[in-house]
Amino acid sequence: MNRSSSSLERLAQLAQGRPHLLAGALMLYKEQEGLDDEQLAALLRCEPSALTRLALCERPRPAPHFREDVERIAAYIHADLMQLAMLIRAAESREALGKRPGETSPDYGEFEEVHTDGEEPSDG
Amino acid sequence: MKATDKENDFHQRILARDDPIAFAAFAELFYDSLLQDVRRRAGSGADPVLVEEAVGGALLDYHDSPERYDPKRASLQSYLSMAAYRDFQNALAKERRVTGRQVSLFDPAFQEQDIVESQETIDSQLQEERLWQLIDQVFPDPTERRVVMLILNKTRSPEPYAHALGLCDLPYDERIREVRRVKYRITKRLRRGIAQQLDRIGGTMQ
Repeated sequence: MNRSSSSLERLAQLAQGRPHLLAGALMLYKEQEGLDDEQLAALLRCEPSALTRLALCERPRPAPHFREDVERIAAYIHADLMQLAMLIRAAESREALGKRPGETSPDYGEFEEVHTDGEEPSDG
Repeated sequence: MKATDKENDFHQRILARDDPIAFAAFAELFYDSLLQDVRRRAGSGADPVLVEEAVGGALLDYHDSPERYDPKRASLQSYLSMAAYRDFQNALAKERRVTGRQVSLFDPAFQEQDIVESQETIDSQLQEERLWQLIDQVFPDPTERRVVMLILNKTRSPEPYAHALGLCDLPYDERIREVRRVKYRITKRLRRGIAQQLDRIGGTMQ
């Protein structure tokens, strides 16, 4: 049995049950979109190996910190900022759809601004 | 030994909850050395899967409650290493209790029926394809997937498991013991994977 495929992948797998990390939302998005790691990495324009580190990142805080947090994550995994922002929004929206009445979702007002003004903010 | 400057820096960033990459960067830097620490303490015969799960659990528990760590009392590496080793010992003791008290593969302690019932629940809530995607993710190893198939098909005889695991050459008692051990562990991982999946879609486990 192959038991040596450890490294951070196992940790990222365990992190799927931790609500403050991105691992669970990413997995749900991948499943619902039918994407594998290579396809998701291509969408984000990053290396597939970066997805493990992405899964271990905190979910971005709501506005007014959302943009700043997504920028920080994008720089860390060398991904496209806009693609990452849209993916996180989509993944968390899908989770929110599965939530029970009364549970709330993060406020993404700031992301709407990022999404609609058509200009990619600078990294940094 | 107190926390090093680097550990202290990570700890403050994780405590502050205002840096989304702090935990990932910390894990990236410390995971392998923690794994080595715990492997060394657990001994060369220790099950690597249990060690990895213990280290992962300790890191994630620290992420959830960083305020429990006091940088003045121990280095962060020592603190996590001790926590992980304690988790490893607890997991090992639990596994020994379960396998030790089983005299038959028909013993309900395996709780496989729960898993099969959960599969039926999940079938109604998920597409079958998604269930198998989940299984592929939780069990990247093809041998483990064969064992999962046997469990989900309600196979009770130990022989197909021994065959799938390549254990047929072992003496009978040893073969049965090893089959029980692997089934117990796979059932546990399957249960956790299904529970997480149901949690994400707002369902419940039977």
